[in-house]
Amino acid sequence: MTLAQALFMGLLQGATELFPVSSLGHSVIIPSLLHWKFKQSDPTFVPFLVLLHLGTAGALLVLYRDQWIAITRGFFTAAIRGRITTEPERLAMLLLTGTIPAGILGVFFETRIKSLFASPYVAAGFLVVNGILLLGFELLRRRAERRAALDSKSRAEQEQSFGQAERISFVAAALIGACQALAFFPGISRSGVTIGGGLLAGLRHQEAARFSFLLATPVILAAGLVEVPQLLTSGVPVVEYLVAAALSGAAAYASARFLLRYFRSGRLDPYGWYCAAAGLISFGLLALNL
Amino acid sequence: MKSNTLAIGFGALAVVFIVVAALYALGVLQILTSTTSGPHIKHAILFAVLAIASLIAANFTREKAV
Repeated sequence: MTLAQALFMGLLQGATELFPVSSLGHSVIIPSLLHWKFKQSDPTFVPFLVLLHLGTAGALLVLYRDQWIAITRGFFTAAIRGRITTEPERLAMLLLTGTIPAGILGVFFETRIKSLFASPYVAAGFLVVNGILLLGFELLRRRAERRAALDSKSRAEQEQSFGQAERISFVAAALIGACQALAFFPGISRSGVTIGGGLLAGLRHQEAARFSFLLATPVILAAGLVEVPQLLTSGVPVVEYLVAAALSGAAAYASARFLLRYFRSGRLDPYGWYCAAAGLISFGLLALNL
Repeated sequence: MKSNTLAIGFGALAVVFIVVAALYALGVLQILTSTTSGPHIKHAILFAVLAIASLIAANFTREKAV
């Protein structure tokens, strides 16, 4: 992988990681479409992507630094006291509950899922599935709005009728966390399925995005801690990859800020249509070998 | 739900998880792993986290003096 390719991949990963469009899917499909010669089945490719994910996790830690301090403090306070009394304490325990199923599924099924990893065709197919999922989440959300007689109200009023991340149940947190495991399939977006899960649990779009971003951070960090040593021992250009990771972090920070503003009134639909179209077009281009 | 029996159950589960974590870390346990030899750090970390979560659950469910 050349420096320019590494930087492009960093920018691509950072820009697409938090958007519900599957960064992993894009990282598999786009190099194939551009006929780049580096092998995605190479043992250093996954650790490289993990390093880029660490850039994203770093951006999320910076963006939510105050909340993470409160969450960390709340976690230890609640764990030692054995009781939840504040919202940060509840959020800390919700995040722990949501992280466990993703961790279990990731550790036990990661290798099998990785066997699908090297195929851009598979990624293009799952990108279409991701689009259908996003459109499905919004369909169910609109149904919930109709049931609550909110369809005549403004988007801001509609959103206000739904809840905050701290208010969801622990079962819902566990289910949203389990949804993260779907993102091991290239083409399925972690943020997409967790934001969708949050919507089904009755969260506002912006709160679903916040919960999704907070939930992603420990999983990405844990994956990075395990995979990065492989990168350091495999003789790859670590400095260039670190620059790419920094670029990824900067792009992720800008993406997160944009999305949090967008989801004040925006929906998942545009991303759903984009994924379905991008998946189908990519599949066609790959099949025609253009 | 507050119950000392449940708390003891979670405590026992935590001990089991710690043992499993140690066995994975030492490379003794090879169940559901991609390779059949050597230590499995990811599995060990997972079970260590599960042990911590079980201890927290035990603390949450035990009956406390008011």
